[in-house]
Amino acid sequence: MAAISLKKLNKSFGPLTVVHDIDLEIGDKEFLILVGPSGCGKSTTLRMIAGLEEITSGELWIGDEMVNDVPSKDRDIAMVFQNYALYPHMTVYKNMAFGLHLRRAPKEETDAKVRETAKILDIEHLLNRKPKALSGGQRQRVALGRAMVRDPAVFLLDEPLSNLDAKLRGTMRAEISKLHKRLDATFIYVTHDQVEAMTMADRIVVMRGGHILQVDTPQNLYDRPINMFVAGFIGAPQMNMLEVTVKRSGDGWVGLFDGLELPLPLGEKADRLIPYEGRTVVLGLRPENLHEAMPVGVAPEATATLEAQVELAEPMGAEVHLNILAGGHSMIARVSPRCKARDGDRVSLIADLGSPHLFDKETEQSILY
Amino acid sequence: MFPTPIAKTGPLTRRFYMISLPVALILWLLPLIAVLLTSVRSAGDINAGNYWGWPTQWNLVENYTAIFTSSPIGQYLFNSFKITVPTVIASVGLSCLAGFALGTYRFKANLFVFFVFIAGNFVPFQILMVPVRDLTLKLGLYDTVTGLVLFHTAFQTGFCTLFMRNFIKALPFELIEAARVDGASEFVIFRRIVLPLMRPAIAALAVLIFTFVWNDYFWAQVLVQGDSAMPVTGGLKSLNGLYVASWHLVSAGSIVAALPPVAMFFLMQKHFIAGLTLGATKG
Repeated sequence: MAAISLKKLNKSFGPLTVVHDIDLEIGDKEFLILVGPSGCGKSTTLRMIAGLEEITSGELWIGDEMVNDVPSKDRDIAMVFQNYALYPHMTVYKNMAFGLHLRRAPKEETDAKVRETAKILDIEHLLNRKPKALSGGQRQRVALGRAMVRDPAVFLLDEPLSNLDAKLRGTMRAEISKLHKRLDATFIYVTHDQVEAMTMADRIVVMRGGHILQVDTPQNLYDRPINMFVAGFIGAPQMNMLEVTVKRSGDGWVGLFDGLELPLPLGEKADRLIPYEGRTVVLGLRPENLHEAMPVGVAPEATATLEAQVELAEPMGAEVHLNILAGGHSMIARVSPRCKARDGDRVSLIADLGSPHLFDKETEQSILY
Repeated sequence: MFPTPIAKTGPLTRRFYMISLPVALILWLLPLIAVLLTSVRSAGDINAGNYWGWPTQWNLVENYTAIFTSSPIGQYLFNSFKITVPTVIASVGLSCLAGFALGTYRFKANLFVFFVFIAGNFVPFQILMVPVRDLTLKLGLYDTVTGLVLFHTAFQTGFCTLFMRNFIKALPFELIEAARVDGASEFVIFRRIVLPLMRPAIAALAVLIFTFVWNDYFWAQVLVQGDSAMPVTGGLKSLNGLYVASWHLVSAGSIVAALPPVAMFFLMQKHFIAGLTLGATKG
């Protein structure tokens, strides 16, 4: 069992508190990803779980043991570092065998384990090399292998892919996901890359300024962000944020934007907007909800047509990102490559407001969450 | 690039460089050349004032044998080794440990302790002359090899620790963390991870301390009186006769005395390796 719980965990460096009262339950064999901008405390949290940072206050439980004062080496964890941290004076084989060797595992067992792991990671032919004779991707694999041979209950990965080029990162992402399924261990993974978070995680923890903002599955996080920060952080290109004035219209609500009445179909949550009547709120609109033609399967009464000027069209191959200006707001629309709009053109885009995101302008919290 | 490589400069500059380099080299080495030449002269040459001319007689074998037969220089050399080798081992060994602690652990007095080590280097040792002599006398270590070893070790460890601490501080700290997570105890981390990476530092420091201590004359004079503990630097003067200066023998002795540090340098040379930590991190 390697469920982990963090209870009111704090970390201060002198007068500076970098992690505030973190509460988190991590399930056994879960793949949990901590994301956030640099300095949000995600790495520090991971390092506290690893035992590399002292916990200022709060409790850390691994399984049914409180491990605040248990040194790293007795926590049954393995860690992959951003910079790999391979022992430069040892061969790949020795790098991988080091942990087992320290645990006085029998030689044959160690040997079998190292070779098996090397086979899985496709680094068998590198076992006798030193780290300096390896490429970045190979070093990354060795770092993973070194963690794997130990067969720990918990894997901690601190931005393991951030030093790789884009193509390799894509491959390794898939490899790590497969590895998680195969190893049956708890993974805690830190990254600032929301693509990694979205593709790999069972659940994502979004952090900012040492606080947890939201913990949920990738899809829920995308569909129901708790505040403007999460909404902007998850999803690329970013969610568009428009300031609209809330107004009643019949028995529903509309948002006034640039002389347009944007429908706000809220269903049973319609009551939540009552206190905001006549006030300005922030409407979040995902770039893929702006279409150049009426999309199929969308109720026409939940759409509005925006007149916009194309400032820049970025062809991505499978889609085109239109940087547009509408009602004085810069926005991005993701449209199909068939869209022929060029820089400077005027276009009409259909905004699908089927499931709108609305945020309080002052608190930045979601009104509908 | 600065300075511009000579090969890329104009022909005039290059010619000037080609001529001035050997001249500067000879000027620089002149004292050493003089000592070398003197060490193979006869006493007659020196008495006749032939200091710089061609030796009238080549007394290579005679002079170099004479220093061993006419004085206890063999004993002095042996004493020098007995003083230098333990000092090098002790001060480098201690400073590896101290440097590891100061470079790796965060504790309250860390910087203070480090500054104490550095501050020790700023104490002019002339100030210590009398108290250290009294101390060694009281401890019964006056005129002993042990006394010199202890004193040199104490005095060199400060600099060594400064050197080692900074070297260890520059190693990628993730290596130590990785080893901790891997299950290594602190001593194993020191022994298996940090020490192998310190090889160039250890070699450099060993050569340096060996040379410092081997060449020490001051403390040999202060803490030693008789022949039993006298190192070769202090013992060279015994090559002069009571009434006559035998510069040819003193020169020969000086050459012999200067050889071990040179040998030490070549012995350690293969450990001066740059880029030992290459590949540890993304690079």
